Amino acid sequence: MVKKDYKRLKGCQSFRQRLVLATLSGTSIIIEDIRVDETFPGLLKHEVSFLRLLEKICDGCYVEINEAATKLKYKPGIVMGGKNLAHDCGVSRSIGYFLEPLLVLALFGKKALEIRLKGITNDSKDPSVDTFRSTTLHVLKRFGVPSEGLDLKLESRGVPPDGGGEVVLSMPIVQSLTAVSWTDEGMVKRIRGVTFSARVSSQFEHSMIHSARGIFNRLLPDVHIFTDHKAGPQAGKSPGYGISLVAETTSGCFISVDTAVSRDHAEETSDFTDDEKKGLIPPEDVGQQTAYALLQEIQQGGVVDSTHQGLLFLLCALCPQDFSKIRVGQLSQHGIETLRNISEFLDLKFVIKPDPKTHTVILKCIGSGLKNLSRKLS
Amino acid sequence: MAVNDADQSHKPHRSRQSGAKKAKSEKKKKQEVGDDSRKQNPKAFAFASSAKAKRLQSRAVEKEQRRLHVPIIDRSNGEPAPYVVVVQGPPKVGKSLLIKSLVKHYTKQNLPDVRGPITIVSGKQRRLQFVECPNDINGMIDAAKFADLALLLIDGSYGFEVETFEFLNILQVHGFPKVMGVLTHLDKFKDAKKLKKTKQRLKHRFWTEIYDGAKLFYLSGLIHGKYLKREVHNLARFISVMKFHPLSWRTSHPYILVDRFEDITSPERVEENKKCDRKVTLYGYLRGCNLKRGNKVHIAGVGDHSLAAITLLPDPCPLPSAAKKKGLRDKEKLFYAPMSGLGDLLYDKDAVYININDHFVQFSKVDDENSSMAGKGKGRDVGEALVRSLQNTKYSINEKLENSTINLFSQKLNVSSEALHDAQSRNIENNEMDMDGSESDQDEAVPPNAITDSETSGSEEDSDTRDDKAAIGDHLNECIEFHGGRRRRRAVFGNDVDQNDLKGSYEEDGAISDDAASSDSEFSEESDDDEDDVGDVSKWKEFLAERAILRHTPSLMQLVYGKSTGNSTSVKKEDDGSEDEESEGEFFKPKEEVRKQKMRGGLDVENVNTEDCSKTTKFVAVKRWEDKDFEQIRDRFVTGDWSKAALRNQVSEATTGDKFDAVYGDFEDLEAGEKYEGHQTDSEVAKMAQKGEDLEAEERRLKKLALRAKFDAQYDSSASSDEEASNRNGAKLQRGQANESSYFDKLKEEIELRKQMNIAELNDLDEATRLEIEGFQTGSYLRLEVHDVPYEMVEYFDPYHPILVGGIGLAEENVGYMQARFKRHRWHKKVLKTRDPIIVSAGWRRYQTTPVYAIEDRNGRHRMLKYTPEHMHCLAMFWGPLAPPNTGIVAVQNLLNNQESFRITATAVVLEFNHAAGIVKKIKLVGHPCKIFKKTALIKDMFTSDLEVARFEGAAIRTVSGIRGQVKKAAKEDILKQSKNGGLPKEGIARCTFEDKILMSDIVFLRAWTQVEVPQFFNPLTTALQPRQKTWQGMKTVAELRKDYNLPVPVNKDSLYKKIERMPRKFNPLVIPKSLQEALPFASKPKDIPSRKRRSFAERRAVVRDTHERKVHALVQQLQLIRNEKLKKRKLKEEEKRKEHEAERAKDEQLLRKRQREERRERYREKGLVRWRHPTKKGDKRKQSSSNIWKTVTLGHSDGANKRLTSSD
Repeated sequence: MVKKDYKRLKGCQSFRQRLVLATLSGTSIIIEDIRVDETFPGLLKHEVSFLRLLEKICDGCYVEINEAATKLKYKPGIVMGGKNLAHDCGVSRSIGYFLEPLLVLALFGKKALEIRLKGITNDSKDPSVDTFRSTTLHVLKRFGVPSEGLDLKLESRGVPPDGGGEVVLSMPIVQSLTAVSWTDEGMVKRIRGVTFSARVSSQFEHSMIHSARGIFNRLLPDVHIFTDHKAGPQAGKSPGYGISLVAETTSGCFISVDTAVSRDHAEETSDFTDDEKKGLIPPEDVGQQTAYALLQEIQQGGVVDSTHQGLLFLLCALCPQDFSKIRVGQLSQHGIETLRNISEFLDLKFVIKPDPKTHTVILKCIGSGLKNLSRKLS
Repeated sequence: MAVNDADQSHKPHRSRQSGAKKAKSEKKKKQEVGDDSRKQNPKAFAFASSAKAKRLQSRAVEKEQRRLHVPIIDRSNGEPAPYVVVVQGPPKVGKSLLIKSLVKHYTKQNLPDVRGPITIVSGKQRRLQFVECPNDINGMIDAAKFADLALLLIDGSYGFEVETFEFLNILQVHGFPKVMGVLTHLDKFKDAKKLKKTKQRLKHRFWTEIYDGAKLFYLSGLIHGKYLKREVHNLARFISVMKFHPLSWRTSHPYILVDRFEDITSPERVEENKKCDRKVTLYGYLRGCNLKRGNKVHIAGVGDHSLAAITLLPDPCPLPSAAKKKGLRDKEKLFYAPMSGLGDLLYDKDAVYININDHFVQFSKVDDENSSMAGKGKGRDVGEALVRSLQNTKYSINEKLENSTINLFSQKLNVSSEALHDAQSRNIENNEMDMDGSESDQDEAVPPNAITDSETSGSEEDSDTRDDKAAIGDHLNECIEFHGGRRRRRAVFGNDVDQNDLKGSYEEDGAISDDAASSDSEFSEESDDDEDDVGDVSKWKEFLAERAILRHTPSLMQLVYGKSTGNSTSVKKEDDGSEDEESEGEFFKPKEEVRKQKMRGGLDVENVNTEDCSKTTKFVAVKRWEDKDFEQIRDRFVTGDWSKAALRNQVSEATTGDKFDAVYGDFEDLEAGEKYEGHQTDSEVAKMAQKGEDLEAEERRLKKLALRAKFDAQYDSSASSDEEASNRNGAKLQRGQANESSYFDKLKEEIELRKQMNIAELNDLDEATRLEIEGFQTGSYLRLEVHDVPYEMVEYFDPYHPILVGGIGLAEENVGYMQARFKRHRWHKKVLKTRDPIIVSAGWRRYQTTPVYAIEDRNGRHRMLKYTPEHMHCLAMFWGPLAPPNTGIVAVQNLLNNQESFRITATAVVLEFNHAAGIVKKIKLVGHPCKIFKKTALIKDMFTSDLEVARFEGAAIRTVSGIRGQVKKAAKEDILKQSKNGGLPKEGIARCTFEDKILMSDIVFLRAWTQVEVPQFFNPLTTALQPRQKTWQGMKTVAELRKDYNLPVPVNKDSLYKKIERMPRKFNPLVIPKSLQEALPFASKPKDIPSRKRRSFAERRAVVRDTHERKVHALVQQLQLIRNEKLKKRKLKEEEKRKEHEAERAKDEQLLRKRQREERRERYREKGLVRWRHPTKKGDKRKQSSSNIWKTVTLGHSDGANKRLTSSD
């Protein structure tokens, strides 16, 4: 046997994906130079928290971090899954940050996973919990994930800075995924959405809905946006409001955008920086902007929105050795990073061909043929 | 005319192929077939009874169900690799002879010696590879892993041997390929009947082992030292029509059976250090599934290695062209057996080996000094001259470089430089395919003086390129290899060392290493990088930067994956050219965003540390939508124009790879160097439409294929699908059911559709991308280069032992605990002991490991077993390289060849991986009370520390007498001091409570379960790294060690049985407390008053009577006396009477007895007389009555006569 060699990586970019791919492909990795030159060097809170989460759901994995937390050594174990697990995600990133890798990992576990995640359910950086419910789980179903036992339950909302939200994720396991040929994006037949308000007046929601509907009504009559006003302990610890919109097409694709507005933490830098200096965005503008953003996503085309590109590519790569064919809009930065990570860990490249007529990109690949190795043979 | 009749050649009859006659005959035939069964006696085919019909039907259905297998998608396309026929059998059974005969049959060639795999073309569609299975168990295990068909040779005159059964068992575990038995040595039987009987016996034994009806072939004897031609022919027929099932392990792992093996380490290095790690190349057909470049491999008997390079070589034994003809032409009866020393020309990736036998060419031995002598030999032919020139070149570089004008294989020039690249950076290797093409272009373009040019530069930068030179030297000296007693020369051509290449690669390395570029000069640096990256060798790349400026857009794949991914951070190297054109360059957003992020960050963020965020929020960029924007996307909604939307989807389907570039304007085929102008958009639309039509046709074709596949699946009649054909017979039975689309059919259909889609998609791609996406196809002939192989592999290489190279799947190179369902083989004589090492073969690997056996209890607990059960499955947990669940495992304990017993120790199947080994065993902690309070006691000796006590708080305990209790806490020190005045209080004394007060003499037990450690030990079997005849020696079992070192078995004295001596127990008297006594009722009160020392007062006092009292007393005494006297008399009288009575009774008794005796005597006499027919003497008669009793019974019927006799007496 050759002595165990570690794959050496640099920097903390696409940290989650690397760990997920390392776990699934059974590669040991060393990540070096994690934020060496920055004011706060090393791994951040949420990254450490993610490592803790990994340790929780895996068996026999080994994590070693140096003193300054600029170097990480990770030896993957076996994804165990299991019931009645709980994890506190902290407040530096939202639950969406943890859910994204967890969805993929849990599929290849020994047992079905049921985990309670605490933290921020909605913020502007990561896809919100509502988006996961409305869109992401549907993407998984496309790849042959059984819908029984696939659920994300929202117990309470939580927005930055203090969080206090709680969700329960249950994921089934699969033997292997099935390859997809998913290029028909269809036409948008309905738009659905959820607004939420926590520790603020429910009137905020109505103004958001009103402004968003005003835009969609020019294109489509079938628009329903639901409200979800939370009060008391269910509303978490900080005030905030937000909206998540989903466009469903005739071919069963879901395209979503979401955002949330709340007071920010001091160190957080987001796309709202400029606006927030003036103050929080008024709900009308939030509704409007989100609606425009959804239209933009629709305009881009593709079977998923830009947020879900990475997940889509990852799932395609984990399929059996058949051709998968998918269509996305512009390749997002995250999508490209995903493609690179996949080629690095699974030695698998996509054929990427632009479709100039529609300004979309068609990707094809042969799956890596990953099977759920941790599943027990009965 | 009549005269010529004799030698006239008659035209043979030809049946009509078409036309009316044909149709007629066909119709007739169809009719015949249709009511074939009806035509004859229809009653004969009817069922006599409904019950029987039902039974038959249910049987048929059952058989059909048993036949069904989960359909497996066959992902291999293209020509299948030759099927491996392993010939196995005990020694001296005729294995080599069989292979020789088969080879002779197929190719008409005589094979002198069977060494290594022998590939032949056996038919138009089929190639075979014959391998002789070595006789040791390791060889057998490996052979079982690559065999598609196993021919088991059995010595008919001797019977079955253990090897056959061992091999069968190994085969069964590793996926059971097809098996055929071959009986040899049948000419030793002289007696025909005996021969027949033996055949029958062996056949049935063979069937029980495999299945009823398994094919057993008989080779009746030898003629001229060869098997009979007819029989070999028959065997060959059987082999060539054999169908092979896909085996699940093999279809998911690539593997190569090595048919050629070369050591390409530079001889200088070897000379320096004979034991240096070697560089070897392995050649063989790829089987199983596609092999990707990054794949790691396991070389059986050597270890895991990563492949330094994989090269696709032309098939050395190609299938004949698919022209319509009946058999094979002689020319097509190809034959490839490099290890056996056949064939004189071997084509390698970068060289051609000319094999010249020593007796043909004496000049190959001679050196410079006597070259003239060789010259005056036979007339020099061209080949000889060529060889001679090659010989000359090996002495100096200059000479070689001058020779470089000899240019036979122009496209194979860059290879040696590539070899250098290999050593330096693997990433170049990754792009090798592109490089090959481009470099050959360049080589053609370079004028002849370029070489001299580079030479001078080489001399100038002497210090710089010394290494290179050395490397070149290495390359030259490699010319001659002594291999397997055979001299081989490598034809290396002069100009294949290109200094330009070297320099380029060096520069590139430098460029890669210094990427600490400041952000200011980012643009220039990046373009520079790009130049180095892509254009290290060729000229055209120099203009790349300019082209980038000229808005040239590289393909998206390049953009995403970049050219070189050697740096694992995948540093972005996008061209900056596109960013200014936003209008149509929308695709290059990502790049732009990277830039944006940097700007946002304000400081110079390394993009290796970008934030990990999937959401690309563009709220800042969100613009207000105007009316025309809405119009743009109106068609994306159901309220819009449906036809347009439909078109959108359709057109996109039509887009094939090479069309898109046109839309972006100019593009240039980089390799061809041609430049294409972009089409006008309107013409483009037309083209698109046309393309759409093409697509439709394509789609139609696909559908057709799928339909055909569906048809095949339903009516297994199409000749094209091989698997289908195999179960045609079975399918006929249930044709009625197959017509309805059952679940099974649907599955099959789906799989077929999927397969067709894959093929269609693959055909869409060009070669280079296909290779990148798919990897090397199965059935292709590959050359694998492996570096850093232990020298022993080369040293002890033995062509009789085939080398198996198996690909390792994802996560299979990891080590961990595995749990397997394990069963000792019923023929293995001993049970196995936990933690005794066994040798395990799982997947491609063989290794020694130490399993811990366990069994699952009712409650799901895995309890350790010291020994495997006799006839049951158990669990085995061991440490080793992981094999996926459902992998079969075969275990052996002994590798020795000379042992007569069955070597297969056990078989198993992997259930799961489990890092946390959950095996437990019982543990019993024993303690003694050191102080007893009421129901609480302090227990010592049970635990060694307070910490341990804490661990067991709340645990249930029990005394020997059955009093239950619980561990509370570690005892406090003051209590201890109280209890033990003097000695220091000990650690680990536990306070426990019981349900009753315990005794100091009680022993307290704590029964618990403890985790069993599974040893983290495994030892790969490196059998290829030692002489083959030597037995591999690994870890020894305990028993072996004891035997070796003459150690006695340790005996625990406490476990010995000995006589139990119990002291009689002394009980203290029962003391009832006073308070309790008082409460007791009088009856229960203890009444034993203690004896006094002094007499009591009543006894002690004197009694003085008065007269009256005295009189009374006297009277009472007298009366008593009288009464006593009376009683005495009466007693005497009664005694007398009784005696009389007794005597009387005795008399009567005597009389009675006498009478009875008389009566009895009379009766017996009568009886005795009845029995005897003839009057005989009384004494005699009595004697006979005892001895001849059976006679009396038989003669019983003549009673009457006897009676008469007695009466007359």
